[in-house]
Amino acid sequence: MKFKDYYEALGVERSATQDEIKQAYRKLARKYHPDVSKLPDAEARFKDINEANEVLRDPEKRAAYDEMGSQYRAGQDFQPPPGWDAGFEFRGRGDEAGAGPDFDASEFFEALFGRHARQAAGRARASRQASGEDHHAKVLIDLEDAYRGARRSIALRVPAVDPQGHVGLEERHLDVNIPKGIRAGQHLRLAGQGGSGLGGAPAGDLFLEIEFNPHPRFRVDGRDVYLDLPLAPWEAALGATVDVPTPEGGVQLTVPPGSAAGRKLRLRGKGIPSQPPGDLYAVLAIALPPADTPAAREAYGAMAKAFEGFHPRT
Amino acid sequence: MKQAIESVLVGPVVEDEIHLTLVELCRVCNVPEDQVRHWVGEGVLEPIGRAPHEWRFAGESLRRTRVATRLARDFELNPPGVALALDLLDEIEALRAHLRRLASGGQR
Repeated sequence: MKFKDYYEALGVERSATQDEIKQAYRKLARKYHPDVSKLPDAEARFKDINEANEVLRDPEKRAAYDEMGSQYRAGQDFQPPPGWDAGFEFRGRGDEAGAGPDFDASEFFEALFGRHARQAAGRARASRQASGEDHHAKVLIDLEDAYRGARRSIALRVPAVDPQGHVGLEERHLDVNIPKGIRAGQHLRLAGQGGSGLGGAPAGDLFLEIEFNPHPRFRVDGRDVYLDLPLAPWEAALGATVDVPTPEGGVQLTVPPGSAAGRKLRLRGKGIPSQPPGDLYAVLAIALPPADTPAAREAYGAMAKAFEGFHPRT
Repeated sequence: MKQAIESVLVGPVVEDEIHLTLVELCRVCNVPEDQVRHWVGEGVLEPIGRAPHEWRFAGESLRRTRVATRLARDFELNPPGVALALDLLDEIEALRAHLRRLASGGQR
C-alpha cells in the first residue's frame, strides 16, 4: 500500500487552518466535481480530493493522520503500525453528515479509518431489523450494445461483513442483460442485488447507470446518433448514392444534388431503437482531392475556368 | 477477496417503466423526505400529483435527485442553490449537445 499525502492532494501546507482546508477543498471540488466538470480525469481527481477532505476536515482524524504520517512521503510503501489509532475515537461515518454512501475510499483510507468506522456503525445497527441499502454503480457499454441488446459482465467491489463481524471488500461479478434501446443516463434496476438486509429484512436494490464508451465514429445525443459523412465535391454537387455505416450495419443513402457541407441528412428510425426510436443524422462534409499530379492540377484549372463567375467570399 | 458468480440478471429500465413515490425516491437516493420536498418547492423536481403522498416522480427524476444530493452535500448548497446549479448544468448540457451536432466537417 502506498502512503497518501492528503495535504498535497488539497494543495495546502501541513500547518493550514481548518478554514484554509475548507477553502482549498471547495475550490478543487468546483473544478473536479464529476457532476460539474467534464475534465477527463475529473472522477479520479475528485475521489482523491474528497478523501483528503474527509480526513483533514475532521480534527480527530486529522490529528491521528498527522501523528502517524509525519515520517512518510506520498507514494512511499506504507503499513499502519499495529494499534496506531489507540486513543482516538472516530465516529462512524455511515450516519453522519459528510461523505455519503457514494464515498468510495481508497485502500489506504480503509486501512486507517474505514474498518474502524464501519465496525462501530455495524455494531450500533446490528440489533435492529432494517432493509438493505440501495446501491448504485455505473456500467460502460458500447453504442452497438444499445442497438442489439447485450450481456455484460460487471465487477463490483462491495463491503461485506464476515461471520466474525470484520468488514472486508468482496468482489462480486454480475452478468447483466443490457436491453435493446437503452440510452446513456438511464438506470437498470436489479431487485435484491443491493446491500443485504439486517435481521432478515429484504436486501436493497442495485441501480446501474448506463454510460456509453466514446465511439470513434458516432456521436450520441439522447436517442439520436450523429456521424460525419465525407463526400467528394462532385458527389455533393451532382448527388450520389453512398454507403453509410450505422451501428447496426451499412445502409445506402441518397445524397441530393447541390448538398452543402454541414447539411444534415436524416435516416429516420436509425438512431437508438428505443420507444420511439431515435434518428441517425449524417452530417455532410466535403473532402477535396489533393492537387498532387499534373492531371489533378489540370482538372482544378478546368474547374476554375468553368466557374469564372463563382466568388466564394461574396 | 471472495468471488461470487451469479446467473444473468434482468431488470427494468427505470426511466421507461417506473414512476416513483416520494418514499421510493428517497430510499433509492438515500436522501431525507424533507430535502426532496424543498427541492420540489424550488422546482428542481416536478412530480405529478398535488399532495406529497400523491406525488409520482418520472424515472428521469432518479438521475436528477442523485445529482442534487451530491451537489447539496459536496458544496453545502441550499435548495435555491441546487435549483440554480441544476438549471445551469441543463443549459450547459444543451449547449454541449448543440456543439456535438455541429462538430463535423469543420475540422477536416
